[in-house]
Amino acid sequence: MTIEIPKLAYTGKIKEILLGQEGNNITVGGESCYPFHLFEGTMPHPPKIAMEVYDSVPEDWPEAAIEPFADVIHDPVAWAGKCIDVYGAEMIALQMASTDPNAENIPADKAAAIAKKVSDETDVPLIVWGCGDVDKDAEVLRSVCEICDGRNLIIGPVAEGNYRAIGATAIAYNHTVVASTPIDINLAKQLNILLGNLNVSDDKLIIDPSIGVIGYGLEYTYSVMERIRMAALTQEDERLQFPIILDLAKDVWKTKEVKLSEEEAPLLGNQKKRGILFEALTAQCLLMAGADVLIMRHPEAIALVKESIEELMNRREG
Amino acid sequence: MSKIICSAAIRGAHKIVGMAEVKCNDALEKWGPNQNIGFPNTTYYLPVIYAMLGIPVEMLGNAREVLNKCKALLPPLVDDELWLPYMDPALEAGMITLFAEEILEAIKYLEKPDYYTKTEDTLIDNIWLGAADDIIMRKRGVEFVDGSAPGFAIILGAAPTTGIAVKIATELQEKNLYVLMCAGHDGKTMSEQLVEAGVQIGWPTRLVSFGPGYTAAVFAVGFVTRAAMSFGGIKPGDFNGNLSFSRGGVFAFIIALGAVTDEWVANAAGAINWGVPVIADTPVPGLVSAGICNYELVVGNIPHDQIVQKAIDVRGLKIKVSKIDIPMSYGPAFEGERIRKEDLFFECGGGRTLAVELTVSKDMSEVEDGKIEIIGKDLDQVKEGDKLPFGLLIEVAGRQMQPDFEPILERQIHHLINYIQGVMHIGQRNIMWLRIGKKAAEKGFLLKHIGRMIHAKYHQEFENIIDKVQVKIYTDEAKVKELIKLATTVYKQRDERIEGMTDETEEIYYSCTLCQSFAPSHVCIVTPERTGMCGAYNWLDCKVSNEINPTGPNQPIDRGECLDPVKGQWKEINGFVSKASRQKIETVNAYSLMEFPMTACGCFECVTTILPMCNGVMVVNRDFMGMTPSGMKFTTLAGLVGGGNQTPGFLGISKHYISSRKFLKAEGGLKRVVWLPKMLKEEIAERVKPVCEDIGIPGFFDMIADETVGITEEEILPFLQEKGHPALTMDPLL
Repeated sequence: MTIEIPKLAYTGKIKEILLGQEGNNITVGGESCYPFHLFEGTMPHPPKIAMEVYDSVPEDWPEAAIEPFADVIHDPVAWAGKCIDVYGAEMIALQMASTDPNAENIPADKAAAIAKKVSDETDVPLIVWGCGDVDKDAEVLRSVCEICDGRNLIIGPVAEGNYRAIGATAIAYNHTVVASTPIDINLAKQLNILLGNLNVSDDKLIIDPSIGVIGYGLEYTYSVMERIRMAALTQEDERLQFPIILDLAKDVWKTKEVKLSEEEAPLLGNQKKRGILFEALTAQCLLMAGADVLIMRHPEAIALVKESIEELMNRREG
Repeated sequence: MSKIICSAAIRGAHKIVGMAEVKCNDALEKWGPNQNIGFPNTTYYLPVIYAMLGIPVEMLGNAREVLNKCKALLPPLVDDELWLPYMDPALEAGMITLFAEEILEAIKYLEKPDYYTKTEDTLIDNIWLGAADDIIMRKRGVEFVDGSAPGFAIILGAAPTTGIAVKIATELQEKNLYVLMCAGHDGKTMSEQLVEAGVQIGWPTRLVSFGPGYTAAVFAVGFVTRAAMSFGGIKPGDFNGNLSFSRGGVFAFIIALGAVTDEWVANAAGAINWGVPVIADTPVPGLVSAGICNYELVVGNIPHDQIVQKAIDVRGLKIKVSKIDIPMSYGPAFEGERIRKEDLFFECGGGRTLAVELTVSKDMSEVEDGKIEIIGKDLDQVKEGDKLPFGLLIEVAGRQMQPDFEPILERQIHHLINYIQGVMHIGQRNIMWLRIGKKAAEKGFLLKHIGRMIHAKYHQEFENIIDKVQVKIYTDEAKVKELIKLATTVYKQRDERIEGMTDETEEIYYSCTLCQSFAPSHVCIVTPERTGMCGAYNWLDCKVSNEINPTGPNQPIDRGECLDPVKGQWKEINGFVSKASRQKIETVNAYSLMEFPMTACGCFECVTTILPMCNGVMVVNRDFMGMTPSGMKFTTLAGLVGGGNQTPGFLGISKHYISSRKFLKAEGGLKRVVWLPKMLKEEIAERVKPVCEDIGIPGFFDMIADETVGITEEEILPFLQEKGHPALTMDPLL
């Protein structure tokens, strides 16, 4: 007896967004079905992983996260180089952590110079991610856009409080923006509308629904992403048909469960393995909810997730 | 009157095209048609020509072709005898003027390469910057798009004195506007006047000296057209798209200083195509044309001390006030602060003195933005413990302002004043109460600071609605009495307006999806007679909210065909709810408890549900902790109502809705109510009693049971029977 598996009829499709510039292009999006429902539709571009690089030496990282980059951690250019050459990174996400007014608070021009250097030396699509302070990000990311004219960087997070400033500059210097909203489908849609009204073109937009990692609100992120994809694919909600990016590593590696040493928490087991699995599992869940680009940190976590993506993509019907 | 302007524009155009013709032919003779021409460092060629016609002028030969087109399109001079509609030909002549001027300027770049500096700053021996290159255009253009520069002023001519020139320039600068200067008057130019007075000019100070001739005006228009192509994604040749982008989003105006020549008019006519109005200090005839924009196109005879404000009024520029200039800290953290007797410096209202606060809208000409007046004593003239009468009158004006919004703006006074550290505000209208603490007085806080704060906050919070705010504060008893008299009339009119507003009189209802973050499929429909169940959003609130935030959670819905007037069902409302609930809810009855009731989020003030034995309904409010005749407390009932589900028999509502004439109309209305908590009953008594009269049962209010009668159906039924409660004999609910 054969069982007919019921199939969903989709009415929408995620937009395909071309990242990077000529010679190093990557396309994301384009899904015409729910994540990995390859028996119902297609995912022409498997999800991509961007490897994190920090603009200054990170503080407060568990040893496990520092270890793979110990030799390059003082130099963002070399760090990016190692990610690409040694770990085969498809994209780089430059985290401008030192611009944070509560941290080192480096000025915008200095930050932009770092971004420019990394951009000049990096031959894969580059994400430049601000510190999350609305005003400082506007200042920094505008300078980055200007100095990296025409490189089609992926600039984020662009929030409701600074979308005009960053959006307008991104249009002028031809970059892609990441519309970032705090785990809320309506706010996500609204920011997409606002960016559209500002004339940010639809092929220059990716959305970031914000992240809660495992044990810290992952289910909220998951269900908002799920709803965004349902609206986009089955309810013809055009303003939500964009690829999704998630900046997850930062949140994973600051959780208590990852930071506690084995001596402090013997029940939690090997600290390194724990961190890697925490990151990989968070990423895996987000893939299931519809992530197109994941910003990740640990090479071993990335390897696990890549393997999983490959397997899921090569699954045959039945 | 427009004939005078239009014929001048066409005359001017003829002269300028004639000049371009001569220049172009001379240049062709000298350099030949393959000579490259253009503006420095731009990928937009001659931008106005490129944007409008889609023709990239790269060589003299191309310029020649464009000029031929110009000549062919140039409307004939206006006949003195014959009267025809001239608006269109004048605008066309203006457009052609700009084409011709771009060619003239391009040839100038060829003939005299050093005529313009081609820089951002002026040079020691040359102040004329010429066309902005693409780098400047992008850098500055971003400021227009993101709003950090609200717009720009194109100045033609020169002021009568250097002093006036500086004053106008400073006033424009203070408003963060770019000032693009060209042309001269009486042998002088505004740029030279500023330099003479020692004012630093150039792109960095936003005082841009384009050139000494009127033809340099085309650089300003060129800037706008490039901004539209660069930031608006408008394609070259899409003249319609380019013009409407600018009309909608680029706030520019021309200030014409000095005798208006035909050539100026021709340029102005050109700019009007982009929605740029002209404000002149000379008595030129006014011009209005609804087809182009919703404001005056030409306004003449404006004194120099008013010309900037007038230009801003006409073009409807939004001015940003970022700083609240008061000596105290300001923010929500101080909202709950109390000023106790021992900390008290000064007070008014609260039954101790006469006091009133009022926000009204006025005509644009009647309000001077930022004007704060104190009529009577301010705090520096009183001593500790004094009490004075108090009147706060806020007058606002704006193109989008409607009298309906007044109460909403007025309602903000309470929290806005409370946000001031050391100041307490209670109540509203003529029962307001204001206390100023000793600490505030020590820091030099004055009543006028309340005015300043209101001015700044109104601008910040209601940017889309209001353009101007002025504040008058009265502490003089006679004046306060006058204001109370005015306020009483206004309050009465407002109350009547709200009373008179019904679901039948208004065709537009509003959605509220504010709560979808936690109740994803819930959609509130707010009508004049069914306020939002949270009690925080009535129909007017939603209307204002939508004006302020057009893409926000309160969207207007044209209700469409009425499918059921008793249950309150409309075609387009169903359609909207279906879409916004992502197909979870297809049908909604706004006035029904039993059939397709409205869903709820979780923020409802009250829950109403049926009491089958009594054949009626009960309502319980969130604050009532006790048991109810339904056998459930509020918290249990809330669980059945919330989450965006339709549960017939359970409904989330606001307190206000109970006294609405549309309250559960489908089930028979107020007459169905058999039980209310005492506290709720008392709270709504004043509003419900008149409805009891309306339904013809004046004594109905006392037929409603409360917890003192009973908290089970069995307990209250005998009470209802004894009172002859109408629900007992109505159609069965189930």
